[in-house]
Amino acid sequence: MSSFVRKMSRRAIVQALIALPALSLFRAQAAVADPPSADPNEIVEVNGWILKRSDVA
Amino acid sequence: MIFDSYEAYRAAAFAPKVCILGSGPAGTTIARKLGAAGIPVVVLEAGSREFSDDSQDFYRGSTVGDPYFDLDITRLRFMGGSSNHWAGWCRVLDKQDFEPKAWAPDTGWPISRADIDPFLPEVHNILELPDFKPDVPISDDVRWVQLIKSPAVRFGEKFADELDKSKTIAVVLNTYATELAGDGKRVTSARLWSNGQDAGTFSADYFIVCTGGLENSRLLLWSNQRSNGGVVPNAAALGRYWMEHPTFEGGNAILADYGEFEVDAVNEAFFSPSLAAMERLQIMNFGIRLIETPYAGVKAVIADLACTAPDMAEWVAYQLSQNLRCAAQLYVAWEQAPLASNQIELSNTDVDHAGVPRIKLYWKKSPLERRTLLEGLRLFGTTLVEKNLGRVRIADWIANGEDYPTNEETAGHHHMGGTRMGTDVTKSVVDANCKVHGMDNLYVGGSSVFCTSGECNPTTTITALACRLGDHLSKVITV
Repeated sequence: MSSFVRKMSRRAIVQALIALPALSLFRAQAAVADPPSADPNEIVEVNGWILKRSDVA
Repeated sequence: MIFDSYEAYRAAAFAPKVCILGSGPAGTTIARKLGAAGIPVVVLEAGSREFSDDSQDFYRGSTVGDPYFDLDITRLRFMGGSSNHWAGWCRVLDKQDFEPKAWAPDTGWPISRADIDPFLPEVHNILELPDFKPDVPISDDVRWVQLIKSPAVRFGEKFADELDKSKTIAVVLNTYATELAGDGKRVTSARLWSNGQDAGTFSADYFIVCTGGLENSRLLLWSNQRSNGGVVPNAAALGRYWMEHPTFEGGNAILADYGEFEVDAVNEAFFSPSLAAMERLQIMNFGIRLIETPYAGVKAVIADLACTAPDMAEWVAYQLSQNLRCAAQLYVAWEQAPLASNQIELSNTDVDHAGVPRIKLYWKKSPLERRTLLEGLRLFGTTLVEKNLGRVRIADWIANGEDYPTNEETAGHHHMGGTRMGTDVTKSVVDANCKVHGMDNLYVGGSSVFCTSGECNPTTTITALACRLGDHLSKVITV
């Protein structure tokens, strides 16, 4: 573990990681690339997740 | 009265009207019902008061098809039967479980849920259960259902004193009925094995086979073979339509509000489909067990993170010295389509110490069940999205259509079917009163009479059916 990370506060670590879940969702973005008229409430499956299209907009 | 040997029982000169084979939940319940009605009954239990390796060895067998538990592990052969390792989960089959489903052949019972409802107060008393809460629909497709984690009554322990003091019930331990003899109308006798040797034959007016969801078929198959069809005259379905509750981890969930669903003492909630959803999707029944990890604040954030970025969550959990898991795990148990090809046969090569052929179990999950697993999780996930209750992630192996994992629990140790109830003698073994078709004095108790399995654990329904059979026989048998 780098000394940079060790110096981070727990709060900072958590705040940074809150954004990270989206990364795994976006791995398969091609499957749900939004057409202009896409319904944001449409249910889509991304990497096994069952989501609203707006979840990954 | 409880006798530790057949020899001691014979010395007592007890004269029973009814002989029950097996002292598990079904056998003990029926015996208590008959005994209370003043009908003298003997219960022959193959095992003793305690577990023993020697007794369990009689249960060894083999399985062909999908991986399954060793047959001498998945059940217990001593007083109280498999209640001795029962986890205690209780729920009765739903009304819809008794109804035929056009999209699933050979479903439907000759009785309805209303036929066992009158016996549920007795069942609650026997199993020490509070009342069940009504199902709570969370959409037209999915409902919250209650499974009660009961004290897991060990029938051999709970009722030992009562049985020992009874004047109408004699429990005979270490006495194994190796076969029944019959003439195509009646069972005429049972051949017994005791103290490691043949102990002769035994007669009674009525016989009730309650030896378990595997052993009932084995005993009747062997008896029928030895009697040239004289014990189960209509044997086309004997041993067939055997079922389990396959059980696998199905994925994870993140919930918007972890107080949304009522959970039990161990933070578990259960969900099942509506009949309309099953029909629309052409799937079997299923139960999703949602296990919450009740964290708050930062812990909750990290636990949710464990669903979406598990490697990172593991790292941060380590940094924070927390052993956190994804916020909610989903386990799925489902109803197997009743298939004649899932069946119990007698081994051609392997016999137990008494010379009875061991079981060869053919068991395989069907494509319909695989679709039930996938569509069931989709149904639950879609419901959570539509109701803004959370999000579901289906496990990779399910979403990608990969093989069933081999490192999970596989099934529920629920042995159902083999002597199923019905009106068609080519597809069933017993009638609506659990009497073997064509036989005047032979009945079957236990989950082997189940036509379908539903999604819930079978012991509550087994006990209810046993109360019903005991009630029926107490009216039929004259003393």
